[in-house]
Amino acid sequence: MKAAAAHEEDSLEVAAIAETKAGRPEAYEYLVGKYLKRVISVAWGIVRNADDAEDLAQEAFVRAYENIARFRTGDPFGPWIYRIVTNLSLDVVKHRSRVRQEALSEMEEGERRDRADLGARTNEIAARIDTALKTLPEMQRMVARMHLVEEFSHTEIAEMLKLSEGTVRSHLSLARRKLREQLADIYGGSDE
Amino acid sequence: MSEDRFFDRLREDARPLRFEPDEFMTTRVAARIRERIQSPATASQVLARWFRPLAASLSALALAATLGIVWIDRSSTPDTQQPTVESLSATNTIEISAGGDVYRVNP
Repeated sequence: MKAAAAHEEDSLEVAAIAETKAGRPEAYEYLVGKYLKRVISVAWGIVRNADDAEDLAQEAFVRAYENIARFRTGDPFGPWIYRIVTNLSLDVVKHRSRVRQEALSEMEEGERRDRADLGARTNEIAARIDTALKTLPEMQRMVARMHLVEEFSHTEIAEMLKLSEGTVRSHLSLARRKLREQLADIYGGSDE
Repeated sequence: MSEDRFFDRLREDARPLRFEPDEFMTTRVAARIRERIQSPATASQVLARWFRPLAASLSALALAATLGIVWIDRSSTPDTQQPTVESLSATNTIEISAGGDVYRVNP
């Protein structure tokens, strides 16, 4: 039943892509509706700013639309749009670090504007994980967040960040060790 | 606790960290995307769309015409600069050296 539903969904996506390619922009709305929330979330995970995440999601969808002719029919749209938004977000981060060197994450935490208000509504453990993630070096933090929070696979992360799968695993392994140390009081410090 | 189990628990606990845009945000972004991809082309964009290929064709034609004219001009003009035997003999002296002596002959 689930497989049938997934197949149905995929065929809708394939049809939407084909129609968009044929010059019917209204068909693109299906793809926007399906992927928008996660695209915003991926962007937010990198830039940590709601306004920027919103703009980046918008830009990613417009770019994907403009280049839809190059998209191979039958391929899943998700990895492609995630890759576009990741690249755009990384450009923003690079630009920021060129413009000013100071850390932005703490300063902009207050700009999170979504249903999950970290301070008030999420539990203490999630807040501790968030704090621990913030202490990681940039690439480890990004990879760990994509894997733990966005639940992307190693392969998907490698594609999005233009890294090899081995590098992704290595970042993840280092991140895991540091997270485990920092969260030892919650999860225990060593293997049982 | 094994590494996989640790990550599984971490993932479960980190779920609230996922940024969940509210309906206002998604509606607003979707509307902006719609506006950008469905907006009719402006007058300047329409003109540019028409004039770009036209200008390219005209430029190619002009280049071809210029090259053609130059080629025709070159091939039809008699070449007056080429030296002939007569002209050479009329202007130059002939030098003959024999036994260390040089003899000049004015034709």
